Amino acid sequence: MAPGSDRSLSRRDNALFLVCVALSVVMLVRPDWGNRVTSMVRVSVLRPFLWMQQRAEESRTSRAAFDRLRAERDSAAYAAQFLPSLRAENQRLRSLLGLGKRLTIPYVPAEVLHQSVPTDGRTLILSAGQNQGVQPFDAVVSSAGLLGVVRWVEPDRSVALTWAHPEFRASAFTQPGQVFGVIGPALQVTGSEQLLQLKGVAIRDSVPIGTLVTTSGLGGVYPNGIPVGTVFGQATEETGWERIYLVRPAANPEEATQVLILRNPKGTPVGQAFVADSAP
Amino acid sequence: MIQIRADRSRLWIVLGLLAVLHFAVRPRLGMSSVAPDFLMLALLLYAIRSRPGAAAVAGFLVGLAGDALAPSRIGAGALAHTVVGYVAAWGRAVFFPDNLFVNGLVIALGVWIRNAIVLIASGPAAGGLTMALLVWSPLQAITTAFTAALVLVLFQRWLDIRLEA
Repeated sequence: MAPGSDRSLSRRDNALFLVCVALSVVMLVRPDWGNRVTSMVRVSVLRPFLWMQQRAEESRTSRAAFDRLRAERDSAAYAAQFLPSLRAENQRLRSLLGLGKRLTIPYVPAEVLHQSVPTDGRTLILSAGQNQGVQPFDAVVSSAGLLGVVRWVEPDRSVALTWAHPEFRASAFTQPGQVFGVIGPALQVTGSEQLLQLKGVAIRDSVPIGTLVTTSGLGGVYPNGIPVGTVFGQATEETGWERIYLVRPAANPEEATQVLILRNPKGTPVGQAFVADSAP
Repeated sequence: MIQIRADRSRLWIVLGLLAVLHFAVRPRLGMSSVAPDFLMLALLLYAIRSRPGAAAVAGFLVGLAGDALAPSRIGAGALAHTVVGYVAAWGRAVFFPDNLFVNGLVIALGVWIRNAIVLIASGPAAGGLTMALLVWSPLQAITTAFTAALVLVLFQRWLDIRLEA
Protein backbone atom coordinates (compact mmCIF):
# COMPACT_ATOMS: atom_id res chain seq x y z
CA MET A 1 0.00 0.00 0.00
CA ALA A 2 1.33 3.46 -0.87
CA PRO A 3 2.31 5.64 2.08
CA GLY A 4 -0.03 8.40 0.92
CA SER A 5 -2.98 6.04 0.88
CA ASP A 6 -2.06 4.78 4.36
CA ARG A 7 -1.97 8.35 5.61
CA SER A 8 -5.41 9.07 4.18
CA LEU A 9 -6.78 5.91 5.81
CA SER A 10 -5.30 7.02 9.11
CA ARG A 11 -6.88 10.46 8.69
CA ARG A 12 -10.22 8.80 7.98
CA ASP A 13 -9.84 6.67 11.14
CA ASN A 14 -9.18 9.73 13.25
CA ALA A 15 -12.09 11.60 11.66
CA LEU A 16 -14.47 8.69 12.36
CA PHE A 17 -13.25 8.52 15.94
CA LEU A 18 -13.74 12.25 16.47
CA VAL A 19 -17.23 12.14 14.95
CA CYS A 20 -18.23 9.26 17.30
CA VAL A 21 -16.78 11.08 20.33
CA ALA A 22 -18.58 14.28 19.32
CA LEU A 23 -21.91 12.44 18.96
CA SER A 24 -21.41 10.84 22.40
CA VAL A 25 -20.64 14.21 23.97
CA VAL A 26 -23.73 15.73 22.32
CA MET A 27 -25.86 12.99 23.91
CA LEU A 28 -24.21 13.60 27.28
CA VAL A 29 -24.90 17.33 27.05
CA ARG A 30 -28.39 17.03 25.55
CA PRO A 31 -30.02 14.00 27.24
CA ASP A 32 -33.39 14.76 25.59
CA TRP A 33 -31.86 14.00 22.16
CA GLY A 34 -30.15 10.94 23.55
CA ASN A 35 -33.41 9.73 25.07
CA ARG A 36 -35.17 9.96 21.74
CA VAL A 37 -32.43 8.02 19.95
CA THR A 38 -32.06 5.31 22.61
CA SER A 39 -35.82 4.88 22.86
CA MET A 40 -35.94 4.26 19.09
CA VAL A 41 -33.06 1.76 19.40
CA ARG A 42 -34.88 -0.10 22.22
CA VAL A 43 -38.16 -0.51 20.34
CA SER A 44 -36.52 -1.45 17.02
CA VAL A 45 -33.04 -3.04 16.87
CA LEU A 46 -32.93 -4.27 20.46
CA ARG A 47 -36.50 -5.55 20.64
CA PRO A 48 -35.74 -9.17 19.66
CA PHE A 49 -32.70 -9.20 21.97
CA LEU A 50 -34.73 -7.89 24.88
CA TRP A 51 -37.39 -10.52 24.16
CA MET A 52 -34.62 -13.14 24.31
CA GLN A 53 -33.33 -11.71 27.59
CA GLN A 54 -36.80 -11.65 29.11
CA ARG A 55 -37.25 -15.37 28.32
CA ALA A 56 -33.84 -16.11 29.85
CA GLU A 57 -34.64 -14.00 32.92
CA GLU A 58 -37.98 -15.79 33.39
CA SER A 59 -36.30 -19.16 33.02
CA ARG A 60 -33.64 -18.28 35.61
CA THR A 61 -36.07 -16.89 38.16
CA SER A 62 -38.40 -19.84 37.73
CA ARG A 63 -35.60 -22.26 38.67
CA ALA A 64 -33.02 -20.57 40.88
CA ALA A 65 -35.45 -18.46 42.85
CA PHE A 66 -37.93 -21.26 43.46
CA ASP A 67 -36.78 -21.93 47.03
CA ARG A 68 -36.75 -18.25 47.90
CA LEU A 69 -40.23 -17.78 46.47
CA ARG A 70 -41.48 -20.81 48.37
CA ALA A 71 -40.08 -19.38 51.63
CA GLU A 72 -41.70 -16.03 50.88
CA ARG A 73 -44.98 -17.74 50.09
CA ASP A 74 -44.83 -19.63 53.40
CA SER A 75 -44.20 -16.40 55.30
CA ALA A 76 -47.01 -14.69 53.40
CA ALA A 77 -49.37 -17.60 54.10
CA TYR A 78 -48.50 -17.44 57.81
CA ALA A 79 -49.14 -13.68 57.88
CA ALA A 80 -52.36 -14.14 55.91
CA GLN A 81 -53.81 -16.33 58.67
CA PHE A 82 -54.28 -13.20 60.77
CA LEU A 83 -55.60 -11.16 57.87
CA PRO A 84 -59.37 -11.84 58.25
CA SER A 85 -59.38 -10.76 61.90
CA LEU A 86 -57.21 -7.71 61.11
CA ARG A 87 -59.46 -6.80 58.20
CA ALA A 88 -62.58 -7.08 60.34
CA GLU A 89 -60.96 -5.03 63.09
CA ASN A 90 -59.83 -2.40 60.59
CA GLN A 91 -63.31 -2.23 59.06
CA ARG A 92 -64.89 -1.85 62.51
CA LEU A 93 -62.48 0.99 63.44
CA ARG A 94 -62.98 2.72 60.09
CA SER A 95 -66.73 2.61 60.48
CA LEU A 96 -66.37 3.95 64.04
CA LEU A 97 -64.31 6.85 62.65
CA GLY A 98 -66.71 7.36 59.77
CA LEU A 99 -64.21 6.36 57.08
CA GLY A 100 -65.10 4.49 53.93
CA LYS A 101 -63.33 1.49 52.40
CA ARG A 102 -59.55 1.49 52.23
CA LEU A 103 -58.20 2.26 48.78
CA THR A 104 -56.48 -0.64 47.05
CA ILE A 105 -53.66 0.00 44.62
CA PRO A 106 -53.62 -2.12 41.47
CA TYR A 107 -50.22 -3.43 40.41
CA VAL A 108 -48.42 -5.06 37.49
CA PRO A 109 -45.71 -7.68 38.12
CA ALA A 110 -42.56 -7.42 36.00
CA GLU A 111 -39.16 -9.01 35.52
CA VAL A 112 -36.00 -6.89 35.78
CA LEU A 113 -33.71 -7.15 32.75
CA HIS A 114 -30.26 -6.46 34.22
CA GLN A 115 -27.46 -5.16 32.00
CA SER A 116 -23.69 -5.51 32.01
CA VAL A 117 -22.68 -1.86 32.44
CA PRO A 118 -21.65 -0.70 35.93
CA THR A 119 -24.46 1.88 36.11
CA ASP A 120 -27.10 -0.83 35.73
CA GLY A 121 -28.67 -0.38 39.19
CA ARG A 122 -29.40 3.32 38.61
CA THR A 123 -32.00 2.53 35.96
CA LEU A 124 -33.79 -0.77 35.34
CA ILE A 125 -35.46 -2.14 32.23
CA LEU A 126 -38.76 -3.77 33.25
CA SER A 127 -40.63 -6.36 31.24
CA ALA A 128 -44.01 -4.60 31.42
CA GLY A 129 -45.07 -1.50 29.53
CA GLN A 130 -47.96 0.45 28.10
CA ASN A 131 -49.77 -2.70 26.95
CA GLN A 132 -49.91 -3.89 30.57
CA GLY A 133 -51.20 -0.51 31.76
CA VAL A 134 -47.93 0.91 33.09
CA GLN A 135 -47.65 4.70 33.05
CA PRO A 136 -44.84 7.14 33.74
CA PHE A 137 -44.43 7.93 37.46
CA ASP A 138 -45.82 4.61 38.66
CA ALA A 139 -43.94 3.47 41.78
CA VAL A 140 -41.75 0.35 41.54
CA VAL A 141 -41.37 -1.84 44.64
CA SER A 142 -39.87 -5.20 45.53
CA SER A 143 -40.87 -7.44 48.42
CA ALA A 144 -38.33 -5.58 50.59
CA GLY A 145 -39.36 -2.01 49.82
CA LEU A 146 -39.16 0.94 47.46
CA LEU A 147 -36.99 0.62 44.35
CA GLY A 148 -37.91 3.64 42.26
CA VAL A 149 -40.31 5.11 39.76
CA VAL A 150 -41.19 4.42 36.12
CA ARG A 151 -39.63 7.10 33.96
CA TRP A 152 -40.22 6.04 30.34
CA VAL A 153 -42.84 3.68 29.01
CA GLU A 154 -42.79 1.74 25.74
CA PRO A 155 -45.36 -0.74 24.41
CA ASP A 156 -43.87 -3.85 26.09
CA ARG A 157 -41.17 -2.42 28.34
CA SER A 158 -40.59 0.42 30.72
CA VAL A 159 -37.54 2.06 32.22
CA ALA A 160 -37.48 2.71 35.96
CA LEU A 161 -35.29 5.27 37.66
CA THR A 162 -34.17 3.76 40.97
CA TRP A 163 -33.22 5.41 44.26
CA ALA A 164 -29.55 4.93 43.28
CA HIS A 165 -29.95 7.47 40.46
CA PRO A 166 -28.61 10.95 41.29
CA GLU A 167 -31.93 12.55 40.27
CA PHE A 168 -34.13 10.40 42.52
CA ARG A 169 -36.13 12.15 45.27
CA ALA A 170 -39.16 11.07 47.34
CA SER A 171 -41.03 12.52 50.26
CA ALA A 172 -40.57 10.29 53.31
CA PHE A 173 -41.23 10.16 57.02
CA THR A 174 -40.09 8.10 59.97
CA GLN A 175 -42.14 5.49 61.81
CA PRO A 176 -42.51 6.07 64.67
CA GLY A 177 -41.77 9.73 65.10
CA GLN A 178 -43.51 11.18 62.09
CA VAL A 179 -40.44 13.21 61.16
CA PHE A 180 -40.74 14.34 57.56
CA GLY A 181 -37.94 14.80 55.05
CA VAL A 182 -36.88 14.20 51.47
CA ILE A 183 -35.13 10.96 50.65
CA GLY A 184 -32.45 10.80 47.96
CA PRO A 185 -29.21 8.93 47.22
CA ALA A 186 -26.19 9.76 49.37
CA LEU A 187 -23.92 10.80 46.51
CA GLN A 188 -20.31 9.94 47.26
CA VAL A 189 -17.09 9.26 45.39
CA THR A 190 -15.12 7.06 47.76
CA GLY A 191 -17.84 5.14 49.61
CA SER A 192 -18.32 1.42 49.38
CA GLU A 193 -21.93 1.00 50.44
CA GLN A 194 -25.04 2.23 48.67
CA LEU A 195 -26.81 4.62 51.03
CA LEU A 196 -29.69 7.05 51.08
CA GLN A 197 -30.01 10.42 52.80
CA LEU A 198 -33.04 11.76 54.61
CA LYS A 199 -32.63 15.50 54.08
CA GLY A 200 -34.65 18.51 55.09
CA VAL A 201 -35.37 17.27 58.61
CA ALA A 202 -36.11 20.20 60.93
CA ILE A 203 -33.25 20.97 63.31
CA ARG A 204 -35.57 20.49 66.31
CA ASP A 205 -36.34 16.89 65.30
CA SER A 206 -34.02 14.02 66.06
CA VAL A 207 -34.34 10.47 64.79
CA PRO A 208 -32.94 7.50 66.71
CA ILE A 209 -30.80 4.92 64.94
CA GLY A 210 -32.84 1.96 63.71
CA THR A 211 -35.95 4.00 62.90
CA LEU A 212 -37.87 2.85 59.85
CA VAL A 213 -38.29 5.37 57.02
CA THR A 214 -41.27 5.01 54.68
CA THR A 215 -42.76 7.04 51.87
CA SER A 216 -45.13 9.73 53.10
CA GLY A 217 -47.48 9.83 50.13
CA LEU A 218 -46.93 13.57 49.68
CA GLY A 219 -46.50 14.60 46.08
CA GLY A 220 -48.84 11.95 44.72
CA VAL A 221 -46.20 9.70 43.13
CA TYR A 222 -45.45 7.14 45.84
CA PRO A 223 -48.26 5.75 47.98
CA ASN A 224 -47.94 6.20 51.71
CA GLY A 225 -46.16 3.55 53.76
CA ILE A 226 -43.70 1.86 51.39
CA PRO A 227 -40.53 0.98 53.37
CA VAL A 228 -37.51 2.92 52.15
CA GLY A 229 -34.85 1.94 54.68
CA THR A 230 -33.57 2.22 58.23
CA VAL A 231 -31.75 5.16 59.80
CA PHE A 232 -28.23 4.20 60.85
CA GLY A 233 -26.41 7.47 61.38
CA GLN A 234 -26.31 11.21 61.00
CA ALA A 235 -24.40 13.01 58.25
CA THR A 236 -22.67 16.31 58.78
CA GLU A 237 -24.52 19.32 57.47
CA GLU A 238 -22.54 22.48 56.87
CA THR A 239 -25.19 25.20 56.92
CA GLY A 240 -26.77 24.13 60.21
CA TRP A 241 -30.35 24.65 59.03
CA GLU A 242 -31.41 21.04 58.82
CA ARG A 243 -30.52 17.56 59.95
CA ILE A 244 -29.42 14.91 57.45
CA TYR A 245 -29.72 11.23 58.33
CA LEU A 246 -28.04 8.33 56.55
CA VAL A 247 -30.47 5.57 55.67
CA ARG A 248 -29.59 1.98 54.82
CA PRO A 249 -31.94 1.05 51.93
CA ALA A 250 -34.54 -1.68 52.35
CA ALA A 251 -34.32 -2.92 48.75
CA ASN A 252 -31.29 -3.17 46.46
CA PRO A 253 -32.00 -2.44 42.77
CA GLU A 254 -28.94 -4.42 41.64
CA GLU A 255 -30.31 -7.59 43.21
CA ALA A 256 -33.97 -7.14 42.27
CA THR A 257 -35.22 -9.77 39.85
CA GLN A 258 -39.00 -9.47 40.16
CA VAL A 259 -40.81 -6.25 40.99
CA LEU A 260 -44.29 -4.85 41.32
CA ILE A 261 -45.23 -1.70 39.45
CA LEU A 262 -47.90 0.07 41.50
CA ARG A 263 -50.34 1.59 39.05
CA ASN A 264 -50.69 5.28 39.70
CA PRO A 265 -53.88 5.68 41.75
CA LYS A 266 -54.62 8.92 39.87
CA GLY A 267 -56.63 6.88 37.40
CA THR A 268 -58.62 4.98 40.05
CA PRO A 269 -61.73 6.53 41.60
CA VAL A 270 -61.18 7.60 45.21
CA GLY A 271 -64.83 8.10 46.05
CA GLN A 272 -65.07 4.80 47.93
CA ALA A 273 -62.55 6.08 50.47
CA PHE A 274 -64.93 8.77 51.61
CA VAL A 275 -68.23 8.47 53.42
CA ALA A 276 -71.22 9.25 51.24
CA ASP A 277 -72.64 12.71 51.78
CA SER A 278 -75.39 12.39 54.38
CA ALA A 279 -77.12 15.52 53.20
CA PRO A 280 -80.45 14.82 51.48
CA MET B 1 -10.31 -12.51 -1.95
CA ILE B 2 -12.72 -15.41 -1.44
CA GLN B 3 -10.62 -16.58 1.51
CA ILE B 4 -10.75 -13.11 3.11
CA ARG B 5 -14.53 -12.99 2.67
CA ALA B 6 -14.89 -16.43 4.20
CA ASP B 7 -12.75 -15.37 7.18
CA ARG B 8 -14.79 -12.20 7.61
CA SER B 9 -18.10 -14.09 7.50
CA ARG B 10 -16.78 -16.54 10.12
CA LEU B 11 -15.82 -13.58 12.32
CA TRP B 12 -19.36 -12.22 11.97
CA ILE B 13 -20.80 -15.62 12.93
CA VAL B 14 -18.69 -15.61 16.12
CA LEU B 15 -19.73 -12.03 16.88
CA GLY B 16 -23.41 -12.92 16.30
CA LEU B 17 -23.03 -15.92 18.59
CA LEU B 18 -21.58 -13.69 21.31
CA ALA B 19 -24.50 -11.25 20.95
CA VAL B 20 -26.96 -14.12 21.38
CA LEU B 21 -25.01 -15.39 24.41
CA HIS B 22 -25.14 -11.92 25.93
CA PHE B 23 -28.93 -11.79 25.91
CA ALA B 24 -29.88 -15.47 26.16
CA VAL B 25 -27.23 -16.97 28.46
CA ARG B 26 -25.80 -14.10 30.53
CA PRO B 27 -29.08 -13.48 32.47
CA ARG B 28 -29.07 -17.16 33.51
CA LEU B 29 -25.61 -16.83 35.04
CA GLY B 30 -26.84 -14.39 37.70
CA MET B 31 -24.58 -11.81 39.43
CA SER B 32 -25.00 -9.26 36.68
CA SER B 33 -22.15 -7.03 37.85
CA VAL B 34 -19.60 -9.89 37.65
CA ALA B 35 -20.87 -12.06 34.77
CA PRO B 36 -18.83 -11.82 31.54
CA ASP B 37 -19.78 -9.06 29.14
CA PHE B 38 -20.18 -10.88 25.82
CA LEU B 39 -21.01 -7.69 23.88
CA MET B 40 -17.80 -6.03 25.05
CA LEU B 41 -15.91 -9.20 24.14
CA ALA B 42 -17.45 -9.15 20.65
CA LEU B 43 -16.49 -5.49 20.26
CA LEU B 44 -12.87 -6.13 21.29
CA LEU B 45 -12.55 -9.21 19.06
CA TYR B 46 -13.80 -7.08 16.18
CA ALA B 47 -11.64 -4.08 17.11
CA ILE B 48 -8.36 -5.98 17.19
CA ARG B 49 -9.08 -7.24 13.67
CA SER B 50 -10.18 -3.93 12.17
CA ARG B 51 -8.99 -0.44 11.37
CA PRO B 52 -9.31 2.06 14.23
CA GLY B 53 -12.02 4.06 12.45
CA ALA B 54 -14.26 1.02 11.95
CA ALA B 55 -13.58 -0.07 15.54
CA ALA B 56 -14.57 3.37 16.82
CA VAL B 57 -17.86 3.24 14.88
CA ALA B 58 -18.52 -0.31 16.13
CA GLY B 59 -17.76 0.88 19.67
CA PHE B 60 -20.13 3.80 19.29
CA LEU B 61 -22.95 1.49 18.12
CA VAL B 62 -22.36 -1.04 20.92
CA GLY B 63 -22.20 1.83 23.42
CA LEU B 64 -25.43 3.32 22.06
CA ALA B 65 -27.10 -0.06 22.58
CA GLY B 66 -25.69 -0.11 26.13
CA ASP B 67 -27.07 3.37 26.76
CA ALA B 68 -30.46 2.25 25.48
CA LEU B 69 -30.42 -0.69 27.90
CA ALA B 70 -29.14 1.22 30.94
CA PRO B 71 -30.10 4.85 30.31
CA SER B 72 -28.67 6.25 33.52
CA ARG B 73 -26.47 8.80 31.71
CA ILE B 74 -27.03 8.59 27.99
CA GLY B 75 -23.83 9.11 26.00
CA ALA B 76 -21.50 7.72 28.68
CA GLY B 77 -21.62 4.20 27.26
CA ALA B 78 -21.22 5.42 23.67
CA LEU B 79 -18.19 7.51 24.64
CA ALA B 80 -16.57 4.69 26.65
CA HIS B 81 -17.04 2.02 23.98
CA THR B 82 -15.85 4.36 21.22
CA VAL B 83 -12.62 5.12 23.09
CA VAL B 84 -11.98 1.48 23.99
CA GLY B 85 -12.71 0.23 20.46
CA TYR B 86 -10.42 2.83 18.89
CA VAL B 87 -7.56 2.28 21.34
CA ALA B 88 -7.81 -1.53 21.03
CA ALA B 89 -7.58 -1.29 17.24
CA TRP B 90 -4.53 1.01 17.46
CA GLY B 91 -2.94 -1.24 20.05
CA ARG B 92 -3.31 -4.27 17.83
CA ALA B 93 -1.57 -2.40 15.01
CA VAL B 94 1.33 -1.55 17.31
CA PHE B 95 2.18 -4.45 19.60
CA PHE B 96 -0.32 -7.29 20.00
CA PRO B 97 1.19 -10.70 19.41
CA ASP B 98 -0.99 -13.78 18.92
CA ASN B 99 -0.66 -14.80 22.53
CA LEU B 100 -3.56 -16.05 24.60
CA PHE B 101 -2.38 -14.27 27.76
CA VAL B 102 -1.88 -10.93 25.99
CA ASN B 103 -5.28 -11.20 24.30
CA GLY B 104 -6.91 -11.94 27.65
CA LEU B 105 -5.06 -9.05 29.29
CA VAL B 106 -6.13 -6.62 26.56
CA ILE B 107 -9.76 -7.71 26.89
CA ALA B 108 -9.67 -7.44 30.69
CA LEU B 109 -8.13 -3.96 30.43
CA GLY B 110 -10.72 -2.97 27.84
CA VAL B 111 -13.60 -3.98 30.16
CA TRP B 112 -12.07 -2.17 33.14
CA ILE B 113 -11.37 1.03 31.18
CA ARG B 114 -14.88 0.96 29.71
CA ASN B 115 -16.37 0.66 33.21
CA ALA B 116 -14.12 3.43 34.54
CA ILE B 117 -15.14 5.85 31.76
CA VAL B 118 -18.84 5.00 32.17
CA LEU B 119 -18.68 5.52 35.95
CA ILE B 120 -16.74 8.77 35.75
CA ALA B 121 -18.91 10.19 32.94
CA SER B 122 -22.06 9.21 34.87
CA GLY B 123 -21.01 11.19 37.95
CA PRO B 124 -21.13 10.26 41.64
CA ALA B 125 -23.72 7.80 42.83
CA ALA B 126 -25.17 6.25 45.96
CA GLY B 127 -22.54 3.54 46.15
CA GLY B 128 -19.48 5.61 45.34
CA LEU B 129 -16.86 4.62 42.79
CA THR B 130 -14.46 2.68 44.99
CA MET B 131 -16.28 -0.66 45.11
CA ALA B 132 -17.30 -0.40 41.46
CA LEU B 133 -13.81 0.39 40.22
CA LEU B 134 -11.73 -1.76 42.56
CA VAL B 135 -13.94 -4.80 43.13
CA TRP B 136 -16.78 -5.32 40.68
CA SER B 137 -15.07 -4.03 37.52
CA PRO B 138 -11.90 -6.13 37.97
CA LEU B 139 -14.04 -9.20 38.65
CA GLN B 140 -16.07 -8.59 35.50
CA ALA B 141 -12.84 -7.96 33.57
CA ILE B 142 -11.44 -11.31 34.76
CA THR B 143 -14.57 -13.32 33.90
CA THR B 144 -14.71 -11.65 30.48
CA ALA B 145 -11.00 -12.40 29.88
CA PHE B 146 -11.51 -16.08 30.77
CA THR B 147 -14.49 -16.25 28.43
CA ALA B 148 -12.37 -14.59 25.74
CA ALA B 149 -9.66 -17.22 26.21
CA LEU B 150 -12.26 -19.95 25.82
CA VAL B 151 -13.69 -18.34 22.67
CA LEU B 152 -10.22 -17.85 21.17
CA VAL B 153 -9.26 -21.46 21.82
CA LEU B 154 -12.54 -22.83 20.46
CA PHE B 155 -12.68 -20.58 17.39
CA GLN B 156 -8.99 -19.95 16.69
CA ARG B 157 -9.27 -21.18 13.10
CA TRP B 158 -12.37 -19.13 12.43
CA LEU B 159 -10.77 -16.06 13.96
CA ASP B 160 -7.59 -16.74 11.99
CA ILE B 161 -5.34 -16.61 15.02
CA ARG B 162 -2.25 -18.69 15.80
CA LEU B 163 -2.14 -18.91 19.53
CA GLU B 164 1.06 -19.35 21.44
CA ALA B 165 1.03 -20.86 24.91
